[in-house]
Amino acid sequence: MRKFLLILPALFLLSGALRAAGNPPTFTLGWSVYVGWDPYQYMAKSGLLKKWADKYGVAIKVQRFDYAPSLDAFVAKNIDACAMTNMEALDMPAAAGVDTTSIIVGDYSNGNDAVLVRHNLTLGQIPGKRVLLVEKTVSQYLFERAMTINNLSGELKRVKYVNTSDSDIAGAFLSDTSQDVVVTWKPLVSQILKGKGITKIFDSSKIPGEILDLMVVRTEVLNRPDGSGQRFAKAIAGAWYELTAQMAKPGPEGDKVLSSIAEVSEDTLASYKEQLATTHLFYTAPSALEMTKSEQLKKTMELVRQFCFSHGLLGDKTSSPDDVAIRFPDGSVQGKKDRVRLRFDASYMELAAGGKL
Amino acid sequence: MSILQIHAQPSRTTVWILSWLLFATGIVSYLWVSRARHLENPDDRVMPTLYQMGRAFADATLKPAEDDEVTGDPNQQSLATKIRNSMLWKDTMATGRRFLISMALLFPAVLLGLHMGMFPYVGSVFLRFVLFFDKIVALSLLPILFIAFGIDELAKVMLIVVGVAPTIILDSFNLTRGVPKEQIVKGFTLGAGDFAITYRIVFKQIWPRVLNSIRLNLKSVMLFLFAGEMIASQDGLAYRIALLRRHMGMDTIIPYVLWVALLLFLVDFGMRTLNRKLHPWFQEA
Repeated sequence: MRKFLLILPALFLLSGALRAAGNPPTFTLGWSVYVGWDPYQYMAKSGLLKKWADKYGVAIKVQRFDYAPSLDAFVAKNIDACAMTNMEALDMPAAAGVDTTSIIVGDYSNGNDAVLVRHNLTLGQIPGKRVLLVEKTVSQYLFERAMTINNLSGELKRVKYVNTSDSDIAGAFLSDTSQDVVVTWKPLVSQILKGKGITKIFDSSKIPGEILDLMVVRTEVLNRPDGSGQRFAKAIAGAWYELTAQMAKPGPEGDKVLSSIAEVSEDTLASYKEQLATTHLFYTAPSALEMTKSEQLKKTMELVRQFCFSHGLLGDKTSSPDDVAIRFPDGSVQGKKDRVRLRFDASYMELAAGGKL
Repeated sequence: MSILQIHAQPSRTTVWILSWLLFATGIVSYLWVSRARHLENPDDRVMPTLYQMGRAFADATLKPAEDDEVTGDPNQQSLATKIRNSMLWKDTMATGRRFLISMALLFPAVLLGLHMGMFPYVGSVFLRFVLFFDKIVALSLLPILFIAFGIDELAKVMLIVVGVAPTIILDSFNLTRGVPKEQIVKGFTLGAGDFAITYRIVFKQIWPRVLNSIRLNLKSVMLFLFAGEMIASQDGLAYRIALLRRHMGMDTIIPYVLWVALLLFLVDFGMRTLNRKLHPWFQEA
C-alpha cells in the first residue's frame, strides 16, 4: 500500500510532463459583455477561433468576466489577453507596471456612452446638481469632455458625483425621480431613455474616436522566446477579421451571424443592431489600421493620460503622466522613453490587411 | 506525545505562541510573495509592500481627500485639524453615522419581537410575515428599495434594517417564548399587569441575550452597509474602497480593510463589556 502511495505522485508528475510535451501552449482571453466584445464569445463558440488557433499551433481559452474583475485578472497576470478600453489599458495594467500591447483596435464608441437628464436640463445647469455615474471611468471622462467642449470646465468643481455601481445605475436613476443627471453606457442608456421625460444631451458621437475598445495582450506573453505568444496574437487577429467580415455582410447572411452573437451574450438581434448603430466597428483591418496609425490616436491618448493623471488614476506614486509612457506604431513615445508601459502595435492588423495571416 | 490529547495542558507561553502562529504565517507569506512580485515588477500594485501601505495609510490619515478643497495652509494646521480633515476620518464618520443610525433602528425590532412573543394577537399578525420576510434576500430587491427610499442615506440605512431586522425580531421572539410560563403565572398571582410582566420580568431576562444576538449580527450589518455604499454614494469607507479598486489602490485598500476590522472588533468588545457590566448575573459565551 505504502509503495503504491509513493508511485501515485510520480505517475502524476509523469502524466503532467507528457501532457506538456504533447499539447500546444494554452492561452486565456478574457472578455466582458459589450457590443464590441460580444463577438469574441461567438468566435469561441462557433469554432472559428479554434480553426485559427490550430493553424498557429496554440490553444485558446475564452472566459467571460464582469468588466472590473476582467481587468483585475489581467493585472494579476491570470489571463493573457483581455478586452478593454484605451483608458483602462492605461490606468489599470500599464499604470500597475504590467507592460501591455494593444494588438487590435476593435471599435470606438460613437454614441454608446451618453449623458442623460431629466427636466431637459442643459449642461450649464448641471453644476451644483448630483450626477450618477461610475466614477473614474470613461463615463466621467465623457462628462468632463462634454463640459470642456462647452467651455464649462471651470464649473466642474461644483458637480457632485455619486459613485453608482453599473449593475444598479439604471434601476437607481429610473426609480428615484429626484435624481436629474446620469452618465452611463449602452445597453443601459437605451433602458434609461425609455423612462418618461428623460433626454440625451451629450454622447460619445461628439467626441468620435476617443473612447476606443481594444484587445490587449501582455507584452511579455508576446515576447516569449518560443514565439508562441506571437502565434497566439496572430490567431486572434485572424479569427477576428474573418468574423467581422462575416458580420459586415449585408442582408440575411450578416443578420444570421449578428443574431448568433447577440444570442451568446443573452441579447436580441434588434437590441444588438441598435447598439452596433452607435458603435463605429472597424469591420476591416485597413480601417482599423488607419485609426491606429493616425495622429488622432496620439491626440486622444494625450487627453486620456492627462485625465488619468489629474484624477489620480495612475497611482499616487506617479509624479507625472510621463511615468506611464505610451508607444505608437510609428515609434514615437508619449512620456519617458525608458518607461513605456502601453504599446499600440499595428503589425497584426497589418498582417491581416495584407492577407498574410 | 500527548499534544493531541484532550487532557493536554499547554503552558501559558506555548498557548501564546500558538495563538499567534497563523498570524505570523499569513504575514510572512504575504511579505514573501509581495517581495517576489516587486522584484519582478517594481510598479506592482496588487500586493503592496509594508512601506507602501504605511505611507498610503499616513496619507489617508493626514491629507485631505483628493477631491476636497483645501482650506488654509496645510503646514500651519495642527495634527488634530489634519486628522479631522483627512480622508480616513471623513469616511469613518460617514460610515459610522450610518452604522449607528441603523443600530438604533434595530432596537424597535427587539420590542416588536418581545410583543409578538407575549401578546398572541400581535404574534398572529406579524409572525408568519416576518418568517417569510426573513428569507428574502434584501440585496436582490434593490430597485424596489430605490423606489421606496431613493438612493440617499435613507436607502442605505433601510437596506441594513430590511436585511437584519427580521433576524433580530425572530430571535427576540424565540427568546421571549423561552421564558418559563410559570414565571408569568407567578407574576400575575403577585398582582403584576400585562406590561409589568412584559417589561419587568420577560424583557429584563431576554435583554442580555438579545444584546448578544445583535452583537453576533454586527458583521451582517456591516456587509449590508458596505453593499449600500458600493451601490451609490459620495462618501464612506466602502465608497473609498470601491473607488480605489478602479485603479488597484491596494496600498490604501488593505489598511482600510484592517481599519474596518479593528473598528468592528472594538464595537464587539465594547458591547460584550457593556453586557457584562450591566448584567453581571448573565453567564453565556
